[in-house]
Amino acid sequence: MNPFTPKVLAVMRREFMQRVKTKWFLISTIGLPVLMIGMFVLVGFFITSSQDQEETVSVGVIDPSGAVADFLVEELLADSVLASRVGELDAASEEEVRTELTDSDYDHFFRLPPDVVNGEDNGTARIFARDNVLPATQSALRNGLRRALLRARLSEAGLENVDAESLLQTTSIGVVNVSGSGEARSQELFQGISFAIAFLFYMVLLIYGQMIIRSIIEEKASDIVEVMVSSLRPWELMLGKIVGVGAVGLAQIGVWVLVIMVAAIFGLSTAGAALTDIGIDITALSIPWGTIGLVLTFLVLGYLLYAGMFAGAGATISNETDAQQVALPVTMLIIVPFISVQGVIGSPNAAWAVVMSIVPFFSPLVMPSRLLVTNVPFWQTALSVVLLGAFVLFAAWVAGRIYRVGILMKGQRANLPEVVRWVRHG
Amino acid sequence: MGQTAESGQTAPLPTWRPGLTAGIIAGVTTPAISLQRINKRFGKKTAVRDLDLEVPQGSIYGLIGPNGAGKTTSIRIMLDIIGPDSGSVAVFGSKNIEAERGRIGYLPEERGLYAKMTVIEHLVFFGELRGMKRRVAREEALKGLEQIGLAERMNDKVESLSKGMAQKIQFLATILHKPELLVLDEPFSGLDPLNVDLFKGMVLERQRQGATLLFSTHLIEDAERLCEYVCMIAGASKVLDGRIADVKGAAGRNEIAISYEGDGAFLEAPGLVDRVADHGQYVEVRLREGADPQELLRRAVNGGTRLSRFELVEPSLREIFIDKATEAGLSPEDASEDQEVAA
Repeated sequence: MNPFTPKVLAVMRREFMQRVKTKWFLISTIGLPVLMIGMFVLVGFFITSSQDQEETVSVGVIDPSGAVADFLVEELLADSVLASRVGELDAASEEEVRTELTDSDYDHFFRLPPDVVNGEDNGTARIFARDNVLPATQSALRNGLRRALLRARLSEAGLENVDAESLLQTTSIGVVNVSGSGEARSQELFQGISFAIAFLFYMVLLIYGQMIIRSIIEEKASDIVEVMVSSLRPWELMLGKIVGVGAVGLAQIGVWVLVIMVAAIFGLSTAGAALTDIGIDITALSIPWGTIGLVLTFLVLGYLLYAGMFAGAGATISNETDAQQVALPVTMLIIVPFISVQGVIGSPNAAWAVVMSIVPFFSPLVMPSRLLVTNVPFWQTALSVVLLGAFVLFAAWVAGRIYRVGILMKGQRANLPEVVRWVRHG
Repeated sequence: MGQTAESGQTAPLPTWRPGLTAGIIAGVTTPAISLQRINKRFGKKTAVRDLDLEVPQGSIYGLIGPNGAGKTTSIRIMLDIIGPDSGSVAVFGSKNIEAERGRIGYLPEERGLYAKMTVIEHLVFFGELRGMKRRVAREEALKGLEQIGLAERMNDKVESLSKGMAQKIQFLATILHKPELLVLDEPFSGLDPLNVDLFKGMVLERQRQGATLLFSTHLIEDAERLCEYVCMIAGASKVLDGRIADVKGAAGRNEIAISYEGDGAFLEAPGLVDRVADHGQYVEVRLREGADPQELLRRAVNGGTRLSRFELVEPSLREIFIDKATEAGLSPEDASEDQEVAA
């Protein structure tokens, strides 16, 4: 029998349209990606503008050992830091250096410890600053010192004119996992995607679960629910609500994904290069359709499971203030698998990860994460889907019974024994 | 309690009521609603006890009783909103009430609207829930809005309407799908006075077109004016039901309405007078069983009291109700102490 009767469709359409038309939906759907892109642009702007500032920074190098200063000034000048040696302060105390800085034209003094080249303990180099030290200046000093020290030590060992840069050259490390069918895939990318999906799903469950509860309370509070249940069966109302609200979430995520894709196309060259820099090859991103299908199956079943539980919880109360309280047990059941997801991604085949990916309450969040980062044996996936499916039906039945009695209840929040009685006797 | 003895006696049954014919042939047609030995308890409290009820098609049927008597619960059971503990329900002869939903229009006592929807969206949505096609629902809604003078508000949000307008929309939503059975729970309580006549007109029009009308009220006089049949409930049990004319006929004519000037001492005749109800302009006297009204008249004349009215009247439904409830060992006043149990 098709559960999507015309009445269920009418409720779905109402729930969907009423929510999509709100300011909240417009702001969170369009506004959020715009805000995020705006933030990226802003961060980029600040980074560039701080790089512009860098050229004006002047640094006085103090090197009591005298062995590093020349190399360091050379390195720093190459990194567009206006550096010069301040030999007269080599023997000065820290206090004198501080006093001198206030009178000088330098932005910073960079004072190296006396035994910087050969000492057992290399001591600490200090930056004296009248003002903030820019992150770019700090990293220029750190890198410059590293190279300068290398060159000083090389020259001490009699190796002049060696290109320090090429000696320091290394390569980045990337991991390539090989799937069952022999395809290569980038581990970092899949871990990232896996976590992103879990996070998004977790947010959707919490936000839209609350929305379902509010929608039920609203119908009670505005005395409309009795007209509703005289026109359609309670389960039809519940199903229409759950699917309608879910569709809003789907639409929202759809818009987000679209915006991200458009932004990615425009910024792909830079983003792709950046990812390649840290060892991720974006072209290795090919997820088998079977995996996508399975992940979606878990997400849909998971949504139905949790939404049904939120609906059942919402039916036992009649005002906003109780909403947080009844939502808490369901929320806990979502938080527990979510916080475990990071661990699951790290060790997807640990015994506890396998168990969690099969137990119905946890599997909707845990199994998709495993599916994306490891090759899950067929029996585990099958068992998990079957258990989850059966559990969704059971939870829907329980929630439906609670809902049927609960939606006509007013006033006091129903206590647990009462709810159990509703479930047993309908 | 402005019901006067005159109107109780003389109010003619309007000739256009198809209910009259429906009543005559009630034995042959299927009743619109039929309840058999319905019982329902909520925890320790009995909400409905052994209720039998038959609402003939095309009739106007009043379900009367004080608040908390079990009227709303009975209605919810009829409409399969809640299930009875025992007993059976049939609507238009069918036990599958789900299948008959489209033929029923129900206006509960607590009736709300979705505040954020526009008037037209709301009406179309409820039309759809009653099984109408979207397009048809929209057409009917526009027609209905025209009728109640709210056509220009169709695109306004429900929350912007006045209370009276919102009530009109609720009524319109109830009858939009042209239900054959209208069930109204306390339809006139809390209503904007201007709307009462409009709504009576709207539901009576449906009834004139052949629909059955069942409504509950705690105002017995409302039922007395409108109904052809009544069922009285007190303390979860049926006290009495039947055609109003029959109910009154069975009660007999031993009520006298008297208006007089001067000494009322003639009424102090324990062997003759059972009860006196003072209505201000007149008193309503109930005689003892078998007592002769002429005897009382003689006492008044002999005592020198000037009478401006001395009239044998039918007892009001209220009188009959109180009698029957007392006979059944129930105190209707006590029953009204309880609040209506929701769900």
